[in-house]
Amino acid sequence: MIARFFLGLGLCVLMLVSSFGTYMYLGGRQSKSALPAEKPTVAAPRPTAFRLPGTLYLAQSGAIYSLSIGRFHQLTPEGGWTQPSLYPDGSQLLAVRRLDFYSDVFVLGRFGQVLRQITNNAAPGRSNDTTAMHWSFYPRLSPDGGTLWMSYDEPKFGYDVPFSIWAMPIGGTIRQGRLWTNSHDYTGGDMQPIPLPSGGIMYTKYNSDPNDNLTGQLWLTTRATPGGNEGRPLTPQSDDCSEPSLSPDGGQVAMICTYQKQIAQLEIASWNGSSLGPRRAIITDQLVAQPAWAPDGSGIAYLAPTAATGPFQLWFLPKNAYNPPPPSPTPVPTPTPGGPYKGTLPSPTPAPPVTPPVIKPIQITMNAGFDATSPLAWAG
Amino acid sequence: MLGIKPGRRARASRRRLSITRTAVLAVFAIALSAMAGTFAYFLPSAKLAWDATGQVVSIPSPTPSPTSFSSPSPSPIAQPKDAFTVLLLGSDDDDKFYAEHVLTQSMILVRVVPSTHSVTMLSIPRDLYVPLSTGGTGKIDGAYSYGGAGAAIATVQNDFGVHINDYIWIGLLGLIKLIDAIGGIDVVTSNPVVDDLYPQDIFSNNPYGYERVAVLAGPQHLDGIHAMQYVRSRHNDLQSDIGRSKRQQQVLLAIRKKAKQTSPADVPNIAAALGGEIKTSIGLDRVAQLIPLASSFDNPDNITQLIMLPPLWHGGGPGGSLMPNWPAILAFVRQYFP
Repeated sequence: MIARFFLGLGLCVLMLVSSFGTYMYLGGRQSKSALPAEKPTVAAPRPTAFRLPGTLYLAQSGAIYSLSIGRFHQLTPEGGWTQPSLYPDGSQLLAVRRLDFYSDVFVLGRFGQVLRQITNNAAPGRSNDTTAMHWSFYPRLSPDGGTLWMSYDEPKFGYDVPFSIWAMPIGGTIRQGRLWTNSHDYTGGDMQPIPLPSGGIMYTKYNSDPNDNLTGQLWLTTRATPGGNEGRPLTPQSDDCSEPSLSPDGGQVAMICTYQKQIAQLEIASWNGSSLGPRRAIITDQLVAQPAWAPDGSGIAYLAPTAATGPFQLWFLPKNAYNPPPPSPTPVPTPTPGGPYKGTLPSPTPAPPVTPPVIKPIQITMNAGFDATSPLAWAG
Repeated sequence: MLGIKPGRRARASRRRLSITRTAVLAVFAIALSAMAGTFAYFLPSAKLAWDATGQVVSIPSPTPSPTSFSSPSPSPIAQPKDAFTVLLLGSDDDDKFYAEHVLTQSMILVRVVPSTHSVTMLSIPRDLYVPLSTGGTGKIDGAYSYGGAGAAIATVQNDFGVHINDYIWIGLLGLIKLIDAIGGIDVVTSNPVVDDLYPQDIFSNNPYGYERVAVLAGPQHLDGIHAMQYVRSRHNDLQSDIGRSKRQQQVLLAIRKKAKQTSPADVPNIAAALGGEIKTSIGLDRVAQLIPLASSFDNPDNITQLIMLPPLWHGGGPGGSLMPNWPAILAFVRQYFP
């Protein structure tokens, strides 16, 4: 009788454990796709990770992080911070703080402390009029550090709210700003200005193609042209190129081209200050965004998902992957001391063809989820 | 023989039998309780799925249409290998509307051919001025409002000559929740989508208010709210509703791509997120058959995305509607929806 009691009890416990275990097992079989991305400071690079030179600044979930000597540091709280860019001397950062209905440009110290607010895009007088608010995105400083370039949604035309490229004194206000480009109606406008040493800017212009599809196109303009002459295109419209990034020596441009598909390519081209050379795809057939050149020229960092889809991770492509070193010269036979050999020579064995090693991109983070619309800033 | 008495042998035999019996009992108990655990895990989602799927469609009696097609009742898909057509409907279902009388801001015909692993998507402009199955003529987005899914299906069948097997309806909040439940989607947004007068009707007490949105361009990961902003905003698009139809198709394909990464164990979470925000005439058994099928459409070259552009219609219809060019529309539709 007692044995049966214990048998029954045992079976009850077994059933409880089994049902609970099954429930928990099924819960554990959920895919990881819906899990929120980890903070980079938690999901630090793998211990064996490749260490990037200098300090890289990037954004995730409204906070700006730095990556230096293999460690991430959170510089700002999660409060809408995005799109960091460096002062020319690397001493400070520009960054955008995006709130629900508008965004502003701030100057941050290299450790994330807010030093100054540059723009004031809230509606005047605490009005709730949404048309009186503005967006500022993609701030950049001119090489002399005196002029702020940005995408700014002014002028507006009723429902048509395009971005245009503006330049304003870094210590001034938008009233002192100059409109540099004329965005096309109902396209989204002009984005991502890159100030050039020559005084002009390279930027992305969005426009309708002959099939009425909206695409991005790199443009160059060398002067403020509100009158209509807005420079000239650098890439074909059908290639849908955007997110330009100038190499530290100013001789190459990296960009993202999608060819109007839902995949992207990271492409590079030589740059002579006025036109691009032939473009070369170095990352293909995947989602890829925000290329940034290493300040020492050792490679290009970019953001891309680990799999076909998923949060964007940080990757690094070493220079040798897209600029392989020239092959070593064929050895020239040297005369043998002592004069010509009179005997039978062994037949020469043909040297095996030298295949250059395939350089693959290095994945720096595994489970972060970086803001793929926020350019990377890289200090030396 | 061995000194064991018959009575002892019987008891020993009972003990041996009881061990076997106990083992069988234990295996049975484990199997039963594992089934109970599985049942408990999937029960909430099964209930929600049962409520959402297999919706009965009542078809209003057809009215004369430009194409005079006369088979408006949808029929279930015979076999998974047969080609079938699904009408996807997306509605603004905020507080501005009665729950059962919402407009379908998005209408997409999807034809799936399992044998060739091909998919064709055709967005129907919501402002197209057409004969409605419920009687009279009006913008096609009103059909659902007047007569539910049945009226929307019958209107499309009558007017375009396409046989529709099933429909799926989703509300604004449903799309947001679906995308969040699968962990967001990756999209190459074609251009900056900026809108100063975007409806503030989902998470607000005032459904008539406005808010500002700005979805930046390029490859990116979108959560539900930003994906909704991307597909819904139309003010800053020269093509207005047509332009956002292109974006809707992009997001639809991104959802399909992301959904391939989910596992059956994700179903309860997804079902819980979608509770009440999705309806379909596809039965639960068919859903189970279609999920593996959806994951087999990998080749982007086999996905055809179509938008109706002029000269298939021209503007200037009543109330800002689009006047259809029926001969051109029917020739176009027959080409892709035989």
